[in-house]
Amino acid sequence: MATLSIRDVRKSYGSVQVLHGVDIELEDGGFLVLLGPSGCGKSTLLNMIAGLDDTSGGDILIGGRSVLDLAPKDRNIAMVFQSYALYPTMSVARNIGFGLEMRGVGADQRTRAVEDAARMLQISHLLDRRPANLSGGQRQRVAMGRAIVRDPELFLFDEPLSNLDAKLRVEMRTEIKRLHERLGTSIVYVTHDQIEAMTLGTKVAVMKSGYIQQLGDPRTIYERPANMFVASFIGSPAMNFLAGRLVPDSEGVLFQASGVSIVLPTRNRQVGSERPVMLGIRPEELRTVAENRASIIGEIDVVEPTGPETMVTVQVGENAIIARLPPRFAGRRKEPIFLAVDPASVNLFDPDSEQRIDI
Amino acid sequence: MRALGELSETRYWMYLLLLPSLALILLVIAYPTLYGMAISFREMRLTRPGLDGWVGFKHYLAMWSDPVFWIALKNTVVWVAAAVVLELSLGLLAATALNRDLPGTKIFAVLILLPYFLPNVVAGHMWALLLDPRLGVINDLLVRLGVLQAYKAWFADPNTALAATILVEAWHGFPFFALLLLAGLKGIPEDLYRAAAVDGAGLAAQLRLITLPMLKTVIAAAVILRVIGLVNSPDLLLILTGGGPGDATQVLSLYAFQTAYKEFNFGYASALSVVMFVTLMIFAAGYIRISRITKGQGDD
Repeated sequence: MATLSIRDVRKSYGSVQVLHGVDIELEDGGFLVLLGPSGCGKSTLLNMIAGLDDTSGGDILIGGRSVLDLAPKDRNIAMVFQSYALYPTMSVARNIGFGLEMRGVGADQRTRAVEDAARMLQISHLLDRRPANLSGGQRQRVAMGRAIVRDPELFLFDEPLSNLDAKLRVEMRTEIKRLHERLGTSIVYVTHDQIEAMTLGTKVAVMKSGYIQQLGDPRTIYERPANMFVASFIGSPAMNFLAGRLVPDSEGVLFQASGVSIVLPTRNRQVGSERPVMLGIRPEELRTVAENRASIIGEIDVVEPTGPETMVTVQVGENAIIARLPPRFAGRRKEPIFLAVDPASVNLFDPDSEQRIDI
Repeated sequence: MRALGELSETRYWMYLLLLPSLALILLVIAYPTLYGMAISFREMRLTRPGLDGWVGFKHYLAMWSDPVFWIALKNTVVWVAAAVVLELSLGLLAATALNRDLPGTKIFAVLILLPYFLPNVVAGHMWALLLDPRLGVINDLLVRLGVLQAYKAWFADPNTALAATILVEAWHGFPFFALLLLAGLKGIPEDLYRAAAVDGAGLAAQLRLITLPMLKTVIAAAVILRVIGLVNSPDLLLILTGGGPGDATQVLSLYAFQTAYKEFNFGYASALSVVMFVTLMIFAAGYIRISRITKGQGDD
């Protein structure tokens, strides 16, 4: 177990800079998720922590000690790869114990460690098989076994679930969370799946184009996204954006757009002046109300019942927004719909810089 | 026409459709092979047209007591084994270097193939000139460097002739291995090496535990192809040494060729070819079994 400090880490290939000074501190036993679309630099960052890639600047400390001069094997890390990277010519048992074998751990001790890890991951019956004879989910477990058997200071996961089918992915996600809670080892986890980030992380770094867009706990990132990219990347269906104007009002400020009028309480005096803004509303924050209490008036476009809830696409002036409503919602296409939202749950963004405006 | 229509509904139809290609195979492959084998049991000398007829195993018995056959067999084994080992090693080295995506590797990948593009005859004459006892550049260089006292007739000395031809063959044939092994290396996931680096496996362990096992099928196929090619082609040796000096570089294919086209003794030459054919079959079958490539990767 150890803390991880990433300090002003940079990476460039030739003249192309792919990471622009990243700073992250991870507490001992924490679970850091690096989240972002492909090409955002998250895998590069993970490889640099592992020592599989050189840094172009900055420092990386594991347990308070700089590891930049250490080879991957000396960093006391264990890594789980997206492709699992199991050695095809070795049995499952030897695959799991290979790291220990290379470190000169005796055969007896190795066997015990492999069996313990296999039991924890429920793959004891597979130890004699070859990777080629395993299913995707089983390979995934072997890859995790290979990591935990080493009892490292830090686990690195590189999109470990993206090669699994949807059902297995949910199962393994729970498994990883259970494993983390049981072992208590710090984890860095790379993914482009925002649900994995939300469910697993104690800390999430949302990345784009080599910059960290926001670093925080999943709740904060979901409820108070730092900019419109983070707001739209996290959450499904994505956050609704409404372009409108902010107008000073006796109770605070008033957001106005075609079909929309919401009073927002504010303590930030600077917000008070009139200006164009983007209003962000999560689909689940919208609810239907009586006409006289509505702050958003629109027309129903599409109604999609999913079982536990019903997604309703609503045309509001120029904009289309999605509302996540109760399953028994009875509206029909072309009917008017009256919606309200808790003013405390909305987010305001500057339309030019796309940065969050605190209200 | 109706009969044909009905026939096409039966399970005999597919055999009928296979007939043309079967006829072609029988005509151009099976017939010449079997005819060649049949000659080995007959007397057939162009210099003695009257001598004809079946002689049974006469040629095979003659081979048993023919000292040149045994020398040629030994030379074939040495020549093929040494050349394949050299070519495989050089090929692996070249393929590993080319697999590293460094700037310029694309040009080198083409350049390295050049020896293989040269026909054996051209390569043979080129090296004959390079190693020429009076004009050879290599002799000149070695003398200037002080390695040699005087120019050396590499192909005329029984002690160096076979080794010299092996080196020429290795130069000519290693790109074949480089090309196939490079294709094999491209198929090995990079993640395996990264996992090995995290696990603490060094370069030697990576070669032994990842690269070679993953290349097993490619190596086996390449070795079989190359061995067959080397055993069957006398052209390089024909140009460089003609089997000499004495029988120092005599190999089976060359011996069979010379028996047929210098002595015009087709019966004996055919018997030599049949022995090569059977030997190669046994080699290929045994080699495939040893390298277990038919069982598929990962479950051996």
